[in-house]
Amino acid sequence: MSEKQDFIEHAKGGKILAHKCVNCEDLSLATVYFCKKCGKRGFEDFVLEGHGKAETYTIMTVPPSGFEKYAPYAWVVLSIDNSDLRISGFLANISKPEDLPIGTALKVVGFDDRGIVLEKL
Amino acid sequence: MEKVCVLGAGSTKYGKLDDSISDITLQASVGAIESAGIESKDIKAGYISNVFGVADKQVHLGPVVMSNLGISDRPSLSIESACGSGSVSFREAYANVAAGFYDVALVTGVEKVTHTGTEWTTTYFSYCSDFFYEGQAGASFPGLFASMARAYINEFNATEEDFAQVAVKNHDNGLLNPKAHLRKKITVDDVMSSAVVASPLKLYDCCPFSDGASAVILCNEKFAKEHGGDYIEVLGSGRGGSPAALQGREHLTTIPSTKIAAEAAFKMAGITPKDVDFAEVHDCFTIAEVVDSEDIGFFEKGKGVEAVREGKTKLNGEISINPSGGLKSKGHPIGATGVGQVAEVFDQLTGKAGERTVKNAKIGLTQNFGATGASCAVHIFQSV
Repeated sequence: MSEKQDFIEHAKGGKILAHKCVNCEDLSLATVYFCKKCGKRGFEDFVLEGHGKAETYTIMTVPPSGFEKYAPYAWVVLSIDNSDLRISGFLANISKPEDLPIGTALKVVGFDDRGIVLEKL
Repeated sequence: MEKVCVLGAGSTKYGKLDDSISDITLQASVGAIESAGIESKDIKAGYISNVFGVADKQVHLGPVVMSNLGISDRPSLSIESACGSGSVSFREAYANVAAGFYDVALVTGVEKVTHTGTEWTTTYFSYCSDFFYEGQAGASFPGLFASMARAYINEFNATEEDFAQVAVKNHDNGLLNPKAHLRKKITVDDVMSSAVVASPLKLYDCCPFSDGASAVILCNEKFAKEHGGDYIEVLGSGRGGSPAALQGREHLTTIPSTKIAAEAAFKMAGITPKDVDFAEVHDCFTIAEVVDSEDIGFFEKGKGVEAVREGKTKLNGEISINPSGGLKSKGHPIGATGVGQVAEVFDQLTGKAGERTVKNAKIGLTQNFGATGASCAVHIFQSV
């Protein structure tokens, strides 16, 4: 299984597959091949619960093709709990900023043709 | 390293153009050759930047351009680096002239997409993002910059009206530019009441999809001096990179590639941001101009909106930002934009900018990036 496929399988189960550098312990998303901090290659799997807080987002009203049926929806940058990592994903049924205050708790619930799919926790 | 000069510049009008991608590429190229007062046979190499040639059935534009200029034996390079293609292409030409490989080079950027419609462009442009995390999950480019805008509003003392002021200013400048795409005076109310594209960004916060081509002639100093005519010098050239996805950046309101490229260009030029008289920066969305003005070093982090509010970035303000109208009003033919910025600096510093002339300007800067700033080039120029 490729690194990316492994990452996707974890996302489908609500988890985020991270890599911990065996040299400096820096944490990266599992789609990274070399450590961004020390440059070494050599990781051990580190599975994070796919929970976090909305750090920023947009509400898409003019969507790219394939997303028309979902609009309006949010694309969210999430800071992952218990780490300094972030992840981005799709969140349905958001039409106005009041629906999603910054800091709202969210969770990864799947991965499909909308990429990483999020829901409110 | 050889000192490198810009000897001529040409551009088509930006907007919705009827001619083919290869036609407009040639029109701009011939314009630059005529502006420089050289013959095409003086050109030793061509650098042609373009992103979506596939939309008008012509990729590998380099040899097509060189053949139609009567110099089919000369090498060319066709370059794609998303919306930063033009400045990256300019940098490659600069490096090769500086290194002494060529004494004269042509740099032409082009884009032809308006015939494809908004859905096609929104979708295909999203392929320039880190698609796995961004485009695939439904983020368009307005959406990505909207996320930066929301983070900025959340972190600093800024409002959507502040960003609207950037659009108003750039439209004021674009009114003075005969080649600009959107020549229309607008107000803050017009921006605020325009349709929401990706909250908090509205239609008038966004640059248009444009067709257009721009070209410049680069040469070494010896050629420029012997040839005569107006020319400007390249004082500094810097490039940088950022995490491709927004989520990987330390700060969501800073574009690392701009900071890295600007620092390198200033170091090479031996000047500071205070020495710059005007700048053409990458304002694909209003938030971007604010962030750029901070990342380049014109203003402290979080103070870019105050500068806009106080009119410091207006034409002939403390530092004129985007006297051409910028991407917002002049237009954004994505493969051409970075070259068009250099063409504007050439016009400004050689007295060809007409009503939009920045008074007593000696030093101009260009900053152009790809995607959400995943790649960036900054160049600094001086009048001779």
